[in-house]
Amino acid sequence: MKSRSLGRAVSTLTIWLYAAIILVPMVWVMTNAFKYKIDIITGTVFAPITWSNFEALLFSRQSNFASALANSAIVSGTATIVIIIMATMAAFTMTVMRVPNWVRWSILGWALLFNMLPTLTFVGSWYLMFASADLTGTYFALITTQIVNLLPIALFLMMSFMASLPPELIQAARMDGCAYDQVFWKIAFPLVRGGMIATTALVFIFSWSDFAIALTLSNSDTMTAPVAISTYAQEFEIRYGEMAAATLLTIVPAITLILVGQKFIVRGLLAGAVK
Amino acid sequence: MKTITARLLAGSTAIAAVATFAAAANAADTVRIAINQSPWLDSFIEMVDLYESETGNTVELDVVPFTGLLEKIRNSLRAADGDYDIVNVNALWLPEIYSAGYLKPLAEIREGYKLGDGTLSYGGTTYWDSTTGTFSEDGQLLGVPLNGNVQVLYYNSEIYDRLNLEVPQDWDGLIANAKAIQAEGDAYGFVPRAARGSIVYNFTPYAYTQNGAYVTVKGDKSVEVSINSPEVLKALEVYLTLANEAGPPNPGAIAQGEMIQLMSTGRGAQTIGVIAAWGSFENPNESRVAGKIEATLIPAGPTGTRASSAGHWVAGIAGNVSPERQDAALDFLDWFQGLDVQTAYVRAGGVPVRGDLGKTDLGQSEEFRFIEAYSENAANAVMALPFPQANEVSDALALRLNQAVIGELEPAAALNDAADAIAEIFEREGYDVSRLPAL
Amino acid sequence: MSAASLHSRTAGKPSAGIPPTGRGGAPRKARRNRRWMIFSLLPVVLFFVVLSVFPVFNLIGTSLYDVRWSGGDSTYHFIGLENYRQLFSTEVIYWAGLRNTLIFAVCAVTAQMILGFSMALAVKRAGAMGRTLLTGIFLLPIVVPPIVIGSVWRLVLGREFGLANGFLGLFGIPPVDWLGNPDIALASVIFVDVWHWTPFVFILMLAGLEAIDEEVLEAARMDVRSSWQEIRHVIVPMMLPTIVITLMFRIILSFKVFDEVYLLTSGGPGTATEVVNFSIYRVFFNQDRVGYGSAMAVITLFGMTLAIIVGRGLLVRKRKNDERKLEQ
Repeated sequence: MKSRSLGRAVSTLTIWLYAAIILVPMVWVMTNAFKYKIDIITGTVFAPITWSNFEALLFSRQSNFASALANSAIVSGTATIVIIIMATMAAFTMTVMRVPNWVRWSILGWALLFNMLPTLTFVGSWYLMFASADLTGTYFALITTQIVNLLPIALFLMMSFMASLPPELIQAARMDGCAYDQVFWKIAFPLVRGGMIATTALVFIFSWSDFAIALTLSNSDTMTAPVAISTYAQEFEIRYGEMAAATLLTIVPAITLILVGQKFIVRGLLAGAVK
Repeated sequence: MKTITARLLAGSTAIAAVATFAAAANAADTVRIAINQSPWLDSFIEMVDLYESETGNTVELDVVPFTGLLEKIRNSLRAADGDYDIVNVNALWLPEIYSAGYLKPLAEIREGYKLGDGTLSYGGTTYWDSTTGTFSEDGQLLGVPLNGNVQVLYYNSEIYDRLNLEVPQDWDGLIANAKAIQAEGDAYGFVPRAARGSIVYNFTPYAYTQNGAYVTVKGDKSVEVSINSPEVLKALEVYLTLANEAGPPNPGAIAQGEMIQLMSTGRGAQTIGVIAAWGSFENPNESRVAGKIEATLIPAGPTGTRASSAGHWVAGIAGNVSPERQDAALDFLDWFQGLDVQTAYVRAGGVPVRGDLGKTDLGQSEEFRFIEAYSENAANAVMALPFPQANEVSDALALRLNQAVIGELEPAAALNDAADAIAEIFEREGYDVSRLPAL
Repeated sequence: MSAASLHSRTAGKPSAGIPPTGRGGAPRKARRNRRWMIFSLLPVVLFFVVLSVFPVFNLIGTSLYDVRWSGGDSTYHFIGLENYRQLFSTEVIYWAGLRNTLIFAVCAVTAQMILGFSMALAVKRAGAMGRTLLTGIFLLPIVVPPIVIGSVWRLVLGREFGLANGFLGLFGIPPVDWLGNPDIALASVIFVDVWHWTPFVFILMLAGLEAIDEEVLEAARMDVRSSWQEIRHVIVPMMLPTIVITLMFRIILSFKVFDEVYLLTSGGPGTATEVVNFSIYRVFFNQDRVGYGSAMAVITLFGMTLAIIVGRGLLVRKRKNDERKLEQ
């Protein structure tokens, strides 16, 4: 018994040590947003506070970070919603229903192949496609490319969660005379909610931090936050202060979303337990 | 199920509406410029404002991160109808953009158009000769420099005063200073920019002051690979001496950011760096040595040859926009070269594209004391890779030079390796390639 | 392919017990089911067809061409397998990159899987308060855009003024050049990647753990002696679909790593931290040799496939061994 509690103490300590490894650099970055560059590059921990980084970010002629944040929200928000709806439905059908093998293999095989090739080699093709329709630099171009880019990962993740649904429940519903769309809404959808939230969070984060696609397909009006942030990694210098300030403003929405999402995970669990 | 379909439809309609809205805009009389985010952008924006208020014309800037600019420029220039009237091209990209024929020769927009009198061409880099495939004033004028930038020798005058050092005139002098400072132990004697992405550009003055050259263009599709010459080897030895005996440890990882960090914190005493870094050294919010850094001529080689490497930006006018747009674009570029405009540009923090500002009252002012060193170095600026394969050759060369710095290769072996790799590139491209004997 | 086989396995489950046709109104229901099948799959298929078919075929096709621009126009010279020949005969940097990427993928993904899984277990067992707090903290790194991760860790790991060396200095440990020393630069890059991407594994493992039925878990607990055995013989097998997919995507994503390394080390010193995606980027964009870059992308695809097959094979075989042991 003694060794067990000792083991527990050790593991608790390890967990919090790991939390510290995550937190310390994180907090340090965030504090950089309030420092002058000279204090950042000399690694000064306690330095005079300045708001100049935020001023440069939000109110200078060079930068329109507020609009970049709004663009990111529009692009990532729309793309994530569309992806998760499409992926959940398709994953259900392919996991639970008897889809003709050639359909299943074509979709999954293609999704995997597409996902394995480097995204940055597609950007040129996409630019050509959207340029011929005069759509480069539009939200439409950014959103649809985000969707197709993240669809494979969402599809596979949702399939893995669908695969852990208890088959007995689906059988029972089928015996009761439910068609598959009813099985989806009544059984699969509520039970797979935890997985859906995890997938949504990941898809949103990937879309929110995408750089390669947005760089080429956006213009100054539709520039997203990561592209705006990357303008601070310049040829001659990295403007750490502005970058940290931009990061702070970028991750706050994402963190909020995750914390709210977490509540849903817990609630989703409860709903699952009652069932 | 119906409601979901309806919602999806409504959603996509909304997206399409927003898309159309964003695609509209752009009146025909504005000049559209693709430009990179940079420390000098603010001063350029001031000039744009000045132009707009003086002429009533409008200029629209698409500010792009440095990493994405080349691809954006290519995409626009290759489209049937370009997004940009003026593209801001980095020195290293010039041969590719020029040789691909995307740009409209300025004399075809306006009969007989020439660069302004005092405007620098940085080793003829505003001209391209398509018959020989290299920069030459015999060719066509394809652009106007938008921001000057060359390497200079920086030194910390406080450390110089303390140790009674003289401004070095040759490489031995620089090495002696560096070793004296290193021996004192307070600061690194010399900071090289020897990371892979930096080293070719940084090494260029060393090689060219020794009368060496990486590759010599001998005419139409004919080159001599001269990287493994005794001159370049001597230059590499000088470089390694400075890097390994009088600099910070592991110089092979020092890129521009680290170099500026070391200099502006006072940890580095001397470096060869771009004039564009001046602003970082002078700004007390970014630097502990504001007012103590001086710029001067890069040391001369044994025969007195001076050299610096050009890292400027040239504005070209797109071939795939309407003649009216091209005309409006040239109006702006012509205006930009004026002496008054350039003086204002410097006062706003820009690096000028004229070589004659040292004679104005700017040259006398303490704040702009870099102007003279800049002008002198700009006069010696060379473009070491004046052919369309510049990027590829640069990557091949950078790897070997960097390997020499980190000790993976002996200097002679590094240069022989580089010569092989470079010769291979040109042979593949169907060039007539001559070689030097291996070192 | 690993996923496909996974699902042909799971797909058999429900249909095994369900009679092919129900009772009354069977044709109408069959029609309804078919309609649902098309409705649920069509959008996915449409997106793939419209937006991914051209880029993929363009990429593979381009790898057989030499593309040049002159006079403002492009010309495509068909050169067969010349790009591949060149890749296998004269290329240096790419192969160094592939080697590093394999090391990177194996080390980083292994660490992330183990850490992410342990963190999920720890959070599941923690009290309500610790649970919220830990989830929040553990997820933080993934929220930061990769481009920021690169530049920030470059500062943290800097030799002269970096936070890491500052911390070690408190204990009198001399400064380490984390990114400048060619011998440890790759390890530093792997560390940063683990720091950044472990939350990816964590969040999926957590969702997988939450989905496990408590009753089933309780029942299984009777048969095992320690919590280690419980993890190994009960939890891991139950979560295997999620684990396999997570592993697969971590391998894919680690092959695709770019933004972080770009700002962290740019592949140096020498080729110490070169990764394939960086070589591809350089050839594709800087050098504008799209044919050659495409050939690199295609060869990388094979490398990646191999890594996934091996990774999945190890996992599944290990599980089979475990099952055998449990039966004994």
